[in-house]
Amino acid sequence: MREKATTLYLGPQHPGITGNMMIKLKVEGDTVVKAETHVGYLHRGFEKLMERRNWLQSFTIVCRICVPEPDPNELNYSRAVEEIEGREVPERAQWIRTMMMELSRMATYLLWFGGQNGSAGLYTMPQWSVGDRDYILDLFEELTGGRVYHMYIWPGGVRRDLPEGFTDRVLQTMDYLEKRLKQYDELMFANTVFQKRAQGVGWIDPAKAIEWGVVGPPLRAAGFKSDVRIDDPYLKYDELDFEVPTQTSSDVWGRALVRRAEFEQSISMVRQCIEKMPKGEVYNKIPNPMKWTVPAGDAYVKAESARGEFGYYVVSDGSNKPRRVHVKGPAYVHGVTLLENLLVGANIADVSFIMNSLGTCPPEIER
Amino acid sequence: MTDNKLEKEQKVVKHLEETFQNLTGKVVRERRVTVAVEKELIPSVLSYAKNQLGYIHFSHMSCVDWIEDEHFELVYILWSPEDKVQLLIKTLINRENPEIDNVDMIWRQANTYEREIREMYGIQFKGLVGREEFILEDWEGMPPMRRDFDTAEYIKEAYFGRPGREDAGNVREEIVKRSGEEIPDFAKKYSRD
Repeated sequence: MREKATTLYLGPQHPGITGNMMIKLKVEGDTVVKAETHVGYLHRGFEKLMERRNWLQSFTIVCRICVPEPDPNELNYSRAVEEIEGREVPERAQWIRTMMMELSRMATYLLWFGGQNGSAGLYTMPQWSVGDRDYILDLFEELTGGRVYHMYIWPGGVRRDLPEGFTDRVLQTMDYLEKRLKQYDELMFANTVFQKRAQGVGWIDPAKAIEWGVVGPPLRAAGFKSDVRIDDPYLKYDELDFEVPTQTSSDVWGRALVRRAEFEQSISMVRQCIEKMPKGEVYNKIPNPMKWTVPAGDAYVKAESARGEFGYYVVSDGSNKPRRVHVKGPAYVHGVTLLENLLVGANIADVSFIMNSLGTCPPEIER
Repeated sequence: MTDNKLEKEQKVVKHLEETFQNLTGKVVRERRVTVAVEKELIPSVLSYAKNQLGYIHFSHMSCVDWIEDEHFELVYILWSPEDKVQLLIKTLINRENPEIDNVDMIWRQANTYEREIREMYGIQFKGLVGREEFILEDWEGMPPMRRDFDTAEYIKEAYFGRPGREDAGNVREEIVKRSGEEIPDFAKKYSRD
């Protein structure tokens, strides 16, 4: 007997997701037959705000675009401005930026570990991983003064050099997290409940993945060795020794394994950064910010965030304010067209589980 | 040496210039190519880039309002995973009655970008099927991302102050009035009056 379809409004709050968006589901029994993403709960108009602020004032708000991972915003904005201006960034600053990006990736993955398990009803993992994330936030606080929003990577370099003994504390944190990973394996990956929930769920067709705009861990879980750090190298990634882990199952399980493997790579990259970092200047000073104009031009820059390719399209008309700053987060595709497609045929209980595995982040969908 | 390095990029420009009339291309730097085309050619150029040149990944789509020149600039940003080149395809459309072909049959995720641009700039995409509203709900009047949209005026109309905070518009003057101090010279230039 065919069940009668009913409409279910899911959200705007979701377990494990930072930000708000609503999914309108048409369900038969507990199977989804149609899904529509509705955003609009979180529009803050950053892109409009930046048209009325000067280049440095705009920088102070870009990090707020994505709450769980603000650093790629700072980096992309700075790199775009530097590219239009032709401003050189000191060698040491580039190494510090690389280290920051990897620390930020780890902090995001720790939050994600918690979110992914939380959306399956496994609540020990969030307690552990969010607690461990705080050790990385402690480092951020010491370095930048802020735990979540750093405003540290700015046009011309970074705001200040590393404090004394900072690298030792980073290395100690890395040792701790490396040990913790083994416990995570037991709690998360060896957990039968997690395995049963994750395997075969939220399958993305690898033949269509690139065309559909899938990026980051979901694309790597579909078997593609695709990573902006390798394909369009920036900062010091071409001087680092790292691997791009892939999986072939293309489901939630595969994406979890990819993130787990990347976490290890990030630990190794942070260690390499500290080892290879030269001494020297960290900031190529910009002119008086009130009078600072950027020559007319445009740039599209992208970085590999924890959720995938994170792009910034920045246009300058030669004045002291940006003409246009357009942010493209991976969730713009993952959370809308891809999610709407993946949810068809899924169980209601798996909706937020699948959403989490794609790294959906509503704040970057509507900015 | 430099020529060799930009070989892939120059090949793309050459391919596109030979295939389409009135198309001009430029190699910006390594892995970045920009081409400018007429708006009528957009679907053809995009599908040619996707199917013949390997630009299968649709990275981004943006819109810039050049109000002083009376046009919008649409930018389609594609990526070739094989060549590892980012291709920016730009076109200009008139600000009066802006209209362009929809391309979501080439990449379905373009649908989201087009819905947002329709809402924020008021550009109509011919044949775009999709829910009317994306971010803004029940929006009437000028699309908010246009340069001539008056943000301050909108705030005045849409929001109201909290009772007892009528002085909020003139905080500095109000403080001066209450304490009897003068505004220091250096701060006067930031004063609202």
